[in-house]
Amino acid sequence: MIKKYAALIRANWALTSEYRAEIVLWMMGGLWVVVMMLVWIGVADGRSINGYAAADYVSYYMVTLFVRNMTAVWSSYELDYQIRQGQLSPKLLRPIHPLHWEISFNLSEKVLRAIIVIPIVVVVLAVLSHAPLDMRPLAVVAFLISLMLAWLITFFSDYAIGILAFWTSQSTAFVQVFDGIRSVLSGVLAPIAMFPDALQAVLAWLPFRYMISFSVEILTGKLRPEQIVQGFAIQSAWALVMVLLVKVMWRRAMKSYSAVGT
Amino acid sequence: MPQIDVDALSKHYRVHEKEPGLAGSLRSFVSRKYKLVKAVDGISFAINAGEMVGFLGPNGAGKTTTLKILGGLLYPTAGSARVLGFTPHNRESGYLRQFTLVMGQKQQLLWDLPALETFLVNKAIYEISTANFDARLKELDALLDLAPVIKKQVRKLSLGERMKCELAAALLHQPKVLFLDEPTIGLDVTMQAHIRDFVSAYNKQHGATVILTSHYMADVTALCERIIVIDSGHVLYDGNFRALIERVAPYKIIKLQFAGQVTAAQLVGFGTVAASDGVTAVLHVPRIDATNVAARLLTQLQVNDITFEEPPVEDIIREVFAGNMPSLSLKL
Repeated sequence: MIKKYAALIRANWALTSEYRAEIVLWMMGGLWVVVMMLVWIGVADGRSINGYAAADYVSYYMVTLFVRNMTAVWSSYELDYQIRQGQLSPKLLRPIHPLHWEISFNLSEKVLRAIIVIPIVVVVLAVLSHAPLDMRPLAVVAFLISLMLAWLITFFSDYAIGILAFWTSQSTAFVQVFDGIRSVLSGVLAPIAMFPDALQAVLAWLPFRYMISFSVEILTGKLRPEQIVQGFAIQSAWALVMVLLVKVMWRRAMKSYSAVGT
Repeated sequence: MPQIDVDALSKHYRVHEKEPGLAGSLRSFVSRKYKLVKAVDGISFAINAGEMVGFLGPNGAGKTTTLKILGGLLYPTAGSARVLGFTPHNRESGYLRQFTLVMGQKQQLLWDLPALETFLVNKAIYEISTANFDARLKELDALLDLAPVIKKQVRKLSLGERMKCELAAALLHQPKVLFLDEPTIGLDVTMQAHIRDFVSAYNKQHGATVILTSHYMADVTALCERIIVIDSGHVLYDGNFRALIERVAPYKIIKLQFAGQVTAAQLVGFGTVAASDGVTAVLHVPRIDATNVAARLLTQLQVNDITFEEPPVEDIIREVFAGNMPSLSLKL
């Protein structure tokens, strides 16, 4: 499997370099996160809201920018396209699950994103040296683990929605609705700490927070150790749920797949 | 035991019908109408290892659907298909490693990369050792002349070059069974012949079983001794190609050129007169009588030139599709 992944990533890295201009454009589309940072700094107007002052917004949104880029997915669009164009068939004929093509493309593309986004985040945080970050080794390790789990939840939930394309030609509409909800509930539009307590309590149990906000909260030092442990438990559970969901949906999809096209 | 065993196989689709226009869209939004399409409707056949079989049939006959079932892309509605002892739609990796399905209108090559990249991906996916990979690539290069094209971006290749690369990518893992669906579609005559020779060579070298569909009769005549004629999801004929021709067109064509004037009336006793203009004539003569008739023609008439021809295969197949085949139920 490692050899297969190495070959897939190699080819997909070549594709990534082929599409680099496109990917950079998409990344720029994600820069509205920076706008949200400026909005919240403006709203705070020198005060602190729910523990967030100007410097907190800077570190919060810079880490968010990084996490969003590291968990970006659009496999659902790709799957929808392949199913409708009948291009999935050649992939199904080969003894490797089409999912691995998408995962390896996603990982290759992450390398390009990291190369671009890390310098930006580092420079901004360095210039604004008072922006708080928890850089203790244990916190960084916790952050990286949570980032991996966040990627799992994001990737597999997206792929699950993508699988809907086997039954409906509107799967990308579902993706857009889901993305909209996610932008609000994952803590991108506003840190979850800004939300009413009742909503925060609900969000602690839903998957959205664990796609972005949880990792950001760890690295910006907003969580106590026991909160991090509890968060990991819920995050791992959601990651498992999404992986199983894809497994089950895929099996059903294969049963009803009718290989569109001639 | 046959390598490919298809028994009473059916595939029925429910197709959503929509009337044109906005009103139609709205109506279909409220209540959808469905139509049942019987793409494959109870077909059976068995193919032994190493055979090359041609699937013939008009568009929509069920040829591609059958190949897709055999390739594990479709679940059959009823009946069964076994290939190499596997049930295709279970898509076991042991099966996927042993066959290939090449669709002339679909591609597995990575569009934006050179074909070699796809080859390398397949090398890893099919777990081909480097030594084997190099040897096979060399063999494919000898048959298909790949070297000049595999390092160019696929999207920049001509249709023929791309098809060569598609075939190479599909055969790197040395499949035992090949399903070729319109492998020569859109190619010029030279390239068609090239692909045909290649398939024939591959079949001989590796003893591979081949099922081929093609709109170009020349592909089928050149490659397949046995054909299966499919129409509307049913098998119309399964057997030797020559035998079919002899049955549907049990005559030979004799073309004559005379030294003097010979009228159609004078020719009636020799066979069916297909054309006659006084100087030349075309006769349809029963196969078994062809030699006798020719001898009689030469002795009784002033013949300058005589040639024998087979009826064109296209015409014969058209006859079969039109339902003009005698004793269809009698499979050979």
